[in-house]
Amino acid sequence: MPIWQKRTHFVVLAGLIFFHLILISIQVPLGSEKKLFGRAVFFVFSPLQKGVVSGFRGVRSAWTGYFDLRRIRQENQKLKQELFFFSQEKRFLEDRLLLFRSEAEVRASLDAFRQSLITARVVGADAGNYYRSLILDKGSLDGVKPDMAVCDRFGNLVGRTIPPVSLKEAMVQLITDPESSVSVISVTDRVVGIVSGRQGALCGLKYILSSVGGGQEGEELITTGFDKIYPAGIRVGQILSIKPTPSVFKEIVVKPSFSFSALEAVAILPRVSGGAE
Amino acid sequence: MKGSVLKDILRAGLATAAAFFFYSLLGGFGPSTLFVLNAFSVVVVTFSVGQGEIFGAALGAVCGLIQDSFSLGVFGVAGLTKTLLGFWTGYVSRRMDVTPFFRNVAFLLVMSSLELVLWVLLNALVLREHVDLRHGLIVLQPLVTALLGSFILNVARRIQARRA
Repeated sequence: MPIWQKRTHFVVLAGLIFFHLILISIQVPLGSEKKLFGRAVFFVFSPLQKGVVSGFRGVRSAWTGYFDLRRIRQENQKLKQELFFFSQEKRFLEDRLLLFRSEAEVRASLDAFRQSLITARVVGADAGNYYRSLILDKGSLDGVKPDMAVCDRFGNLVGRTIPPVSLKEAMVQLITDPESSVSVISVTDRVVGIVSGRQGALCGLKYILSSVGGGQEGEELITTGFDKIYPAGIRVGQILSIKPTPSVFKEIVVKPSFSFSALEAVAILPRVSGGAE
Repeated sequence: MKGSVLKDILRAGLATAAAFFFYSLLGGFGPSTLFVLNAFSVVVVTFSVGQGEIFGAALGAVCGLIQDSFSLGVFGVAGLTKTLLGFWTGYVSRRMDVTPFFRNVAFLLVMSSLELVLWVLLNALVLREHVDLRHGLIVLQPLVTALLGSFILNVARRIQARRA
């Protein structure tokens, strides 16, 4: 009897390992997009995931709705939704004003912004890399496309939508992902740099020369819009610490403005052109 | 024989669906719990002890790839580690008696810990960065997997004994 028939289990294991190694090796070095096979699996399972969470939420909501005073609850939900939109608008307006735009420009931007805002709920998280991605319950049928900015309910930047975007679900790359990059400016000293994820829940402000002055601990960072993905003026985070290094650039640690524990609902912003002036 | 294999595959499919259900629920309502409880690992170890290494490896590959599809990490890393988890759990459990509850817990703890170590190493190798261990919270994952897996196996054995 040939040896591979005697050792079938090892042959199967070797085959599976080989398959996975091929799968992993075609992605290294890491690209920005998932490969076709990965996308296909996401397309198949993401509606199921959304169905499970929505179903459970539906049951929970029916249960609480039965016992609650319905009218008050509906009114409360309406107010909450309005508050959500108002806080987004307020944040957007304040940030635009900070960038010294004219009133007409601000109004035009605000109108466009209000019409195309998409609200979504978080239906999944990344089990292996908690600070890298999220799954939302809105997809291409709701107007979601890759590279749309995502904010929390207070208007703080969370990340951007990335492929794969399925019909009713989308994946979000968080700003805490080391692969992400956001063009930012500090509100006081007007220092311009790139915010990327570090290990864990913190970000880093990159490419600030050690010789350059400005930038102080506690200073707020907002988007510039230069990257053509994130609209200008969205709050990104606060400078936590600044350390000089032997290299040309400073080591600046940034604490993101959004909170991981308050990420149940988010807003997907339309892609807008323009940057800080 | 053929009917029995089909029944096992159907059972594994249902268990994978159940694992996916819990994974989705946990992800939707308490994302950080995904670090402590990996429902896919529980399914893989439970079935590997009962069905052997080939079945465990195949089930591990399926469960791992589903988990990978919802992650922004490298697609295939969880697939590979869960394949190995399924294989070595099935392989070792056929060669030693892991029926007593506490022996089973210890056995599954070792197997799941090996999987976690391999996953951390592979991620560090492929991503070229330190893996976020959530302040050590992830270390609890093998323990939870071992306890849950042993509990399910114990309940299944009792049900079988009653039927017999």
